[in-house]
Amino acid sequence: MPDKRILEMKGIEIQFPGVKALDKVDFDLIAGEVHALLGENGAGKSTLIKCLTGVHHMDAGKIIYDGKEITPTSPQAAINMGISTVFQEINLCQNLTVAENIFVGRLPMKRRHRIDWKGINNRASELLKRFNIHIDVTRPLDYFSTGIQQMVSIARAVDIKAKILILDEPTSSLDENEVERLFDVVRELKKSGMGIIFITHFLDQAFVISDRLTVLRNGRLVGDFYARNISKIELVRQMIGKDMEQIFALKRPTVAADATNMLDVESLGIASKVADVSFTLKTGELIGFAGLLGSGRTETAEMIFGVTRAEHGTIKIHDREVRIHSPLDAINQQMAFCPEDRKRDGIIGDLSVRENISLVVQSRRGIFNPMSIKEQAELADQYIQLLGIATPDAEKKVGELSGGNQQKVILARWMATQPDLLILDEPTRGIDVGAKAEIQRLMLKMCAEGVSVIFISSELDEILRCANRVIVMRDRCKAGELPGESSRQEDILHVIAEGTATGEEA
Amino acid sequence: MKWKFDSQHILKSKITWAVVAELLILLVCLIIRPEFFEISYQESTGMLYGSIIDILNRSSEITIIALGMTLVIALAGTDLSVGAVVALSGAIGLKLMRWDMSEYPTAGNYSVTPLIWVFLVALGICFLFGCFNGLMVSRFGLQPIIATLVLMVAGRGVAQIITNGRQMTTNFAPFKFISQGSVLFLPMPIIITAVIFILMVLLTRKTSFGMFVEAVGINPRASRVSGLRSSLIIFSAYAITGLLAGISGLIYASRIGQNDSNNAGINYEMDAILAVVIGGTSMSGGKFSLAGTVMGSIIIRTIITFVYYFGVAAEAIMAFKALIVLVVIVLQAEPVREFISKRRKARKTAIRGELHG
Amino acid sequence: MDERTMRIRRQSFLNRVLNPRYIMVYATIGVFLLIYLFGALMYGDIGFTTIRTFLNMFIDNAYFGISAVGMTMVLITGGIDLSVAAIAALTGMFIAYGNTILGIDPFLCIAFAMVIGIGMGALMGAMIHYLNVPPFITTLTGMFLARGVCSMISSESVAINNDAFNALAGWKVNVMKLVDGVWVKVKPIAFINLNVLLFLFVMLLGAYLLKSTKFGRNVYAVGGNEQSAKLMGLPVARTKILVYAFNGLCSVLMGVSYALYVKSGWALALMGGELDVITMAVIGGTLLTGGVGYMLGTFFGVMLKSIIPALITFNGNLLSWWGKIATGALLLLFIGIQRIVVTYSAKRKGKAADCVSKKT
Repeated sequence: MPDKRILEMKGIEIQFPGVKALDKVDFDLIAGEVHALLGENGAGKSTLIKCLTGVHHMDAGKIIYDGKEITPTSPQAAINMGISTVFQEINLCQNLTVAENIFVGRLPMKRRHRIDWKGINNRASELLKRFNIHIDVTRPLDYFSTGIQQMVSIARAVDIKAKILILDEPTSSLDENEVERLFDVVRELKKSGMGIIFITHFLDQAFVISDRLTVLRNGRLVGDFYARNISKIELVRQMIGKDMEQIFALKRPTVAADATNMLDVESLGIASKVADVSFTLKTGELIGFAGLLGSGRTETAEMIFGVTRAEHGTIKIHDREVRIHSPLDAINQQMAFCPEDRKRDGIIGDLSVRENISLVVQSRRGIFNPMSIKEQAELADQYIQLLGIATPDAEKKVGELSGGNQQKVILARWMATQPDLLILDEPTRGIDVGAKAEIQRLMLKMCAEGVSVIFISSELDEILRCANRVIVMRDRCKAGELPGESSRQEDILHVIAEGTATGEEA
Repeated sequence: MKWKFDSQHILKSKITWAVVAELLILLVCLIIRPEFFEISYQESTGMLYGSIIDILNRSSEITIIALGMTLVIALAGTDLSVGAVVALSGAIGLKLMRWDMSEYPTAGNYSVTPLIWVFLVALGICFLFGCFNGLMVSRFGLQPIIATLVLMVAGRGVAQIITNGRQMTTNFAPFKFISQGSVLFLPMPIIITAVIFILMVLLTRKTSFGMFVEAVGINPRASRVSGLRSSLIIFSAYAITGLLAGISGLIYASRIGQNDSNNAGINYEMDAILAVVIGGTSMSGGKFSLAGTVMGSIIIRTIITFVYYFGVAAEAIMAFKALIVLVVIVLQAEPVREFISKRRKARKTAIRGELHG
Repeated sequence: MDERTMRIRRQSFLNRVLNPRYIMVYATIGVFLLIYLFGALMYGDIGFTTIRTFLNMFIDNAYFGISAVGMTMVLITGGIDLSVAAIAALTGMFIAYGNTILGIDPFLCIAFAMVIGIGMGALMGAMIHYLNVPPFITTLTGMFLARGVCSMISSESVAINNDAFNALAGWKVNVMKLVDGVWVKVKPIAFINLNVLLFLFVMLLGAYLLKSTKFGRNVYAVGGNEQSAKLMGLPVARTKILVYAFNGLCSVLMGVSYALYVKSGWALALMGGELDVITMAVIGGTLLTGGVGYMLGTFFGVMLKSIIPALITFNGNLLSWWGKIATGALLLLFIGIQRIVVTYSAKRKGKAADCVSKKT
């Protein structure tokens, strides 16, 4: 294959308020190859792509496409140049037909101002047949499964005579068969000389389909590798990396020998999301949940807390079976939950710090047993001090605080309820190093006070330093359980990458 | 709603702009005709009279509804059925008082049903109407506009059926008292409005109801994770609005001394929504201000009184209202606000390390 | 091979007819036919089934129907327009006041009204799109403004006494039938007038625009998912503004049609008519959430809404107010059906949809 570079990105830099999102990142793409872009959340994959497609504008660096330097200004401009993107969320209109979704915006016309429906439907059928998909293209898109919808969006992208196709997490909602089908299509396209950038969290898939892999971490380029020259474990290590922060003297919680079972989860699951998860948690113990994104970590936590209702399985608290159908039930069982998506599930942006902190305490007390403003303020001030929340006063809107401080406010909200069980889903993501260490310390302090903690994180260092036991999730199942003290990163990486553990089998 | 002026707390308050607008209108009145502000005491009725009193008095019906509507809008909803409920409430009230309409067609100073039952039944049914709306929105997850459109269309029909399509009149003094009577020199509607306002403030600020409403209005998902029962909260907001619309309907019926299923409460839903929006509560939900709503309602009434009083052209009221609303919504529009706050931010050098996404 | 093509072709025809997206339209047609059948059984002997009764339903509601066309488009984009009846009243006032008081040619008045109506529509569309003001509030303001201006022109009802205009209003085509080789009028006399033709024309125009032009497909795309539409490179702003402008035009035409119907202009004409129009569109299967709606459905929505007063008239004992309640009940019925359809289709692909919405 002639080594024809169709895309070169050099020294790309992007500055977001308070964060350097991309720092001198290089990337290149050869015609007829699949180039995977890997990295954990916040590593800068999406930012790099958005820079290429003109959503973000770079502060430094240059993009050379097809031998010419370009500066994409909008997604539309990028498409016109031949750079098409298929996003994880399907950016099509569910109410239009399949055929229309492929052609809308450039519908072929008959006699100038009449849409040529027959032509559209025939062409769409032909196009999808090339992908080995035989469906009735006159049905509305929402009639079909997500997998088909994803193919349709690829068909749309490809039909615009693209030279570069960017697939941004296209497989995260597909089942195995659908993934296989998608890959067939990708191979087909590759053969025709298209350059394909493939972003994913699933390492297996990256290895199956890609020729080259580029790894980003914290906005920096870690390196690019040929898929045949690197092992999975090595790759995971590259993605997760050593934490740059200085290691605080963190002490793993000690679990008393006679500690009782605080939480007992038995074969909890939802058919389409998580398969039977079972584990126990002792009083004062800290369990870490490791695994890549989409492995079922968050889903498990949400089931335990009643955010989504489990379809089967039981939850026992202090050896008594409890029914948890809503977060309120969980709160009444002295549980607390800091959700992964701070903006969507956590903060109530327009309310003040005071109100955000006292919200859960108040919801447990009920509507007619209100805390006075003074009580709220005292509670808020107490936690502002305890957690060192950087805010001028308790009346500041939470939405105006920085990410780390928002996270602390949510933590405060739950600490104020004095829970027995604390579930933390990625509490340290997207916040600066100082705040990170502080949150870890707080977590351990609570353990020492007899609170049981479930700690979900993508950063293995963090988990290994804090957890008594580590549960590894992989492909929506529990893949293994490792002791926290004696395990090394390699052990966990091995389970994440290969799905086999020294302990039990998935 | 987001008047982002951090430096000055007073400018941050949502009600400020409504007050400023009201004062500006009054100032214009003062300049043109100072006697606009005259207040006189009439001994025969034991009441104060004057344009200002009149504004407060006449705005009561809208204010009372708008207080409930504030909660509904804070929850990112709307209630279109209030106008129909106003007509319904009057119809039920008059029907209960004048069962005997067919035998004694002239208005008389009596009621067939004890007045307390008149009130209880009328308000009870209006409350049920509110509950119906609440159920449709909270339980069945229908869009508020369409869910409340059902009763908006059917409500007046029900009112007509109840009264058999007739207009009944009454001079029953205790009933007339709720609009014509006075307590503490002030007309009853003002007193009733004030009492309801205080009750609503107590309900929202002395319990945690207000905070919950705001939380659900701003971020329903996070509220649920925090253990709030959002559907119950949404349901109550509509139920309360139904009840308040009923009260408003009785006052209106008392004022005109009859029921009028065709015209009672016409466009009240629009006026109430406007009052809330002018008062600084955003239609996309979130923080609300009851005092702002009262101010908004007073502004609307001031415009009307102003136009009547100066005889500019009574017909221009609608157009006037439209212009005022136009100014308010343009000022509240997100892009405009962003523009303003961007300019302000540029002036301020303090940069907060805000992390997006 | 040939056989297979044939089979596929037949299948695709069946598919097209049974397409789940037409369920709402079928429901509307079905309910209309049921009610018509009910009327025929109950009041067939006193003339419910005559052509005259049928055409009168058109004549009495043509002006609403015209506006329902524009409203359907607005609703498909996910918006709403409360100003339609007010703009129609303003149109009527322009014609009446302009002609009777100022002596201007009525057709010039209509042209002027069109400019104003389309302009207001476009302006509201621009406000909704660029300033991000909720359509409800924007068009409410538009309604107040139009009504206000209308009553500023005249608070009294103004009669229209223009010969040409009256000729238009009186123009009609009788329904004839062939008896023994001679064309005679059917008994009881039935006719269609200009309003009915105008209604049918606007309806067909609307259907054509929606089905066969890029603009129409953009309307659906914007209503289906505005964000996606933007990412697919569709002209979202232009589409939204054009839709409101077109609706403004429909409002003006409703005003003209209503003026032809009552031969006067009045500031309070068609009070609350916007809700009648919205109701027609909704019972015709248009979703207020946007993205779904068909002119055929709206057509039967108009018919369905018009048959109720007709039934009540034929009954003779019922107060006309039962009409409002029946309309409310119909609305409830169709919201219920919509809800079931939506839940059903969400359930069918439940897990997939769930996964997609999971991460944003």
